[in-house]
Parts: sequence; C-alpha cells; structure tokens
Amino acid sequence: MHSINPMVVDLSRFQFALTALYHFMFVPLTLGLTFFLAAIETVYVVTGKQVYKDMAQFWGKLFGINFAIGVATGITMEFEFGTNWSMYSHFFGDMFGTPLAIEGLMAFFMESTFVGLMFFGWDRLSRQAHLAVTFLVALGSNLSALWILVANAAMNVPQGAHFDPDTMRMQSDSIVQVIFNPDAQAKFVHTSVAGYVTAAMFVMGISAFYILQGRNKEFAARSFRMAAIFGIISTVAVITLGDVLGRLDYEHQPTKIAAIEGLWENSHPPYEPWLAFAIPDDEKQKNHLEVGIPFVLSPLVTHSFDTTIIGMKELQTQAEPRITSGIQALVALHHYDQTHSATALAEFRAHEADMGFGFLAMKHAPGQDVAAITEDQMQSVVDATKPDILPNVFVTFWSFRIMVVLSLWFFLLFALGAYVSLKNRLNRNHLLLKLCLWSIPLPILATEFGWITAEAGRQPWTVFNFLPTYLSASSHGVSYMVFSLAGFALLYSIFIAAELFLMFKFARLGPEHDAHHAQSASVHVVPDDVFVTGMGD
Amino acid sequence: MQLVRMVGLALAVVVALLFAVFVGDQGPWYFAWVVGTVMIVLTASAGAVLFEAQHQGSEVKDI
Repeated sequence: MHSINPMVVDLSRFQFALTALYHFMFVPLTLGLTFFLAAIETVYVVTGKQVYKDMAQFWGKLFGINFAIGVATGITMEFEFGTNWSMYSHFFGDMFGTPLAIEGLMAFFMESTFVGLMFFGWDRLSRQAHLAVTFLVALGSNLSALWILVANAAMNVPQGAHFDPDTMRMQSDSIVQVIFNPDAQAKFVHTSVAGYVTAAMFVMGISAFYILQGRNKEFAARSFRMAAIFGIISTVAVITLGDVLGRLDYEHQPTKIAAIEGLWENSHPPYEPWLAFAIPDDEKQKNHLEVGIPFVLSPLVTHSFDTTIIGMKELQTQAEPRITSGIQALVALHHYDQTHSATALAEFRAHEADMGFGFLAMKHAPGQDVAAITEDQMQSVVDATKPDILPNVFVTFWSFRIMVVLSLWFFLLFALGAYVSLKNRLNRNHLLLKLCLWSIPLPILATEFGWITAEAGRQPWTVFNFLPTYLSASSHGVSYMVFSLAGFALLYSIFIAAELFLMFKFARLGPEHDAHHAQSASVHVVPDDVFVTGMGD
Repeated sequence: MQLVRMVGLALAVVVALLFAVFVGDQGPWYFAWVVGTVMIVLTASAGAVLFEAQHQGSEVKDI
C-alpha cells in the first residue's frame, strides 16, 4: 500500500471545507425564501391584494439570483467525492451514492422544473396554480437538503449497512434505516429551519432598510411583519432541534459532545458548569480561563441532573482496547484477503466492530502496516493513536458557541421585531431597524459555524468509528491539490462577488424598480426583469 | 364531475392519513417538519392578514 501524505489529506480537507462553506452561503436562503414566498403568495391568493403579488415577485427575484449562483457552487462538490476522496467513495459509495442520486434525480429536477414555472408563470397560471408551483419549488429545494443530510447522517451515525470483507466496502442493508436515521431527521429539520431563519432575517433586514429610508412603506411594513413572525417561530424550532441534535451526539458521538463542551474530565453532576468561555488547549488537554454557569451542563446535554458525561481523557482510555482489537481486525482482514480462510474470517468478525480504530492506528504503525507491529511496539502505537480519536477541541468548542450566541440574538431580534410590528411602531424604532439591517449576514454565519461544529466534531472520522479521514483521500500530488484549491477559491470568490453585487443592486433599487419596468415591459423586453415579467412579455 | 372531485379529495385524505401514520411513527421529526412548516407559513400569512385588518380603510401611516 502506498504511504499517505498528510499534506494531501489536509489540502483535500481544506478544499472540501472551502467549497462546502462557500456553497452553504447560498443554501439556507434558498431553503427559507421559497417557503417565505409561499407564505406571501398564500396571502395574495386569500386577499387578492396587488401588494402581495409585488412582494412575491420582488423577493422572488432576489431568490432567483441566489438560486442560480447557489446551484453552480453545489455541483462541484459532488464531483469532489470522486476526485479528492476516492478511498472514501470506494469504502462508503454504496451508502453515500444512493441518497445523492435520489437528490439529483428527484428533488433537484423537481425544484428546477417548477422554478421555471414560478418565474415565468405569473401571467400564464391562475393565482392558485402559481401558489401550488411555489409550494412545490419550496418542497423540492428542501427535499434536496433532505437527501444530502440523509447522506451526511449516514457518515455521522452509520446504520443500515455492514462491512463486506470480500469487496472491502460498506454495503447497504436497509435504505429505510438510512432514510429514517434519527440523526438525518434532526439534522434535516435543524438545517431546513435554519434556512427559514436566514430568509426571515434577509427580508426583515432589507424591509428595515426601506423603512429607514422612508421608501416603499406599504411593501416594507408587510414584508417586515411576515418575516418577523416567520422568523420567531423558526428560531424556536432551530433551538429545539439543536437540543435534539445535542442529545443524539451525546448518545452516538461522545467525543463530539465532549469537545463541544470542552469537557476533558468526566462531569460532576449536578454542579458541572456549562462553559460560556474557555480557551481549550488541544496539546496540553486542558482549558485556560474557564468561565462557566453552574448546574447547567448535565440537564442541557443529558436532560437529567444526575447523569455523568464522559470526558475526553476517559474516552481516550476507553478507546485503548478498541485500538488493540482494531489492529487485530486489520491483520485478520489482510490474512483473509490473501487466503479467504474461514479462520481468518472468524478472527476478523470477532474484532470487526473495532476495525476503524485499527485504521487509525495504521498511521503510527511501522511503514503504516499494522501487521508489522511487534508486541513490544504495540503499547507505543496504542498510546500514539489514543489522542487521535479526539476532534480539534478549540474549533469545535468555539464554533458551537458562536452559533448558539447568534441563535439567541435572532430570537431576541425577531421577538422584538414581531412585537413592534404588531404594535405598529416600526417607524419609531430606528435602532431596532438598524440592528435588523446589520444582522442580515449573521444567520449565514451561524449556519456556517453550525456546519463546522458538526463536521469538525466528527473528526477524525469521515464515517464515524469506521473510516478515518486521513485514509479517505485520493493519492494526488501536493501541487495538484494546491492548483485546484487556488482555482476553486478564485472561482467561488467570483461567484460570491457576483451574488453580492446583484443582491445589493436589486435590493437598493427596490420593488419600485419592478413597477417602473413592468409598465414599459409591454414595449421592451428588459433583461433585468426576466424573473418578474416573464420571457414573452 | 362532483363525484370525481369528491373521490379525488377522499383519496388525498387517505394518502395524508397514511403518510401521517407511517411518517409519524418512523420519522417523528420529519412529520414535525411537515406540520411545523405549514404552521410557520400559515402563521406568517395570518400576520399579514392581521396587518390588513389593523390598517383597513386607512392609508398606512403608523407601521
């Protein structure tokens, strides 16, 4: 077997993180804005008021810009699995490929088809039919997210599959178990509803901008009202599902939850404080400058006052026998691969559950070959492998806290926004309006940090407890990775710049720009207005 | 024609019930998402309808 170059693995990780984080700047707005458009159109169908049609068309245009650029950034990621993560694709492709294929064939096709009808169907469909189309676009975009998160959950909490020593890969046993994986369920709802929060803040912020400028008051006040209500319920749902995910992590990914909480030693319930601030030191395995809130950690994580949460040091100790057993599993697997003997297979089956820990130990084995580990070397290999079971604690700890603080800020802002709007006092609260405007990018930041928490916390695994990340990458050269990374960074930065330019331009122009051009559309086809007026107008 | 419509609606109800029973059992959070999303959309819509009621017959001045 070829020797693994850690620099290539790091560059592959960095490239995937970069493309995923870029892509995820667009996704939440698409997920949420579609359902927000459906809400606006529902009011248009019920009341028949023109202002709601204007609202749906204006916010729909901003959705269109985001959708077009977001799709472009997502496609490359699917290819990256094959190009940069070929070992992972071989090992886990059977599990991962199915949801991705369904996503492309079902959800994305559905979304793309109906998006055309939504943009160009205003004068060709009845109000009710157009509303149904908008709901289908919303459903399609969220189903896209569903299948991606089903695939992601299979990596975080693998179920419905087994490892086949003949093909050397995980093979699917039950697609139902994969789809109804509890992690997939909670993660999908958490992510989808985080998109609703993003959309609500986006609409509320831009509406606040118009109110501050004294423009489009009729339009902005209604948009603000709907966004504030849409946002406050969504924020409550996001926080609820965040709690559910924390509980699932506690059950299935103890290293992730311990890293999130910066918990090096076992907790002491019920007193154990929840750390609001700390500087985790991964090297020394301790925290500096801890500031905590007593009696919060145990009920928060375990929903009880007397359950101990295992700390990271204890988790390392518990991993020791699994590492030894995993090494035995790999030796037996190698033997079985060469001989196909029943004895080797039986030996492998006895240690199969710990195989992933054997893969982790490979990195520290002489020549990256576990079969070459002598009895004298075994303890030193196990000791060297133990710290590898932990994720980067500093990153996981802080990305989680940034996400949490931001979600509490959204709750406060939406609650105030909804209250002030319901009291019809918006134009007397300029500070609130300014805060809404400045907070537009924050939900995107929160979702990015949410992803970092989930994915950095999953380390060192791509498939939790089965396949380590360092073994998952392709065997490219460093120069190839640097070149493609630079290319992606450049290309995606152009996409971001284009998105920001178009969003700022059309948000500043406002809905009155649409109204002005709609009047002249009977004479000229205006390319800028293609989303609103339709191609044939 | 009315019979066809009634049968169609009855079928939709049966499908919705089966969906609720199956998904509610197998995937409670998926079910919660379906119900919750509809609730969020309708509550936001209700907020707009309330806005219309609050400003009925008058130009929007205090917002």
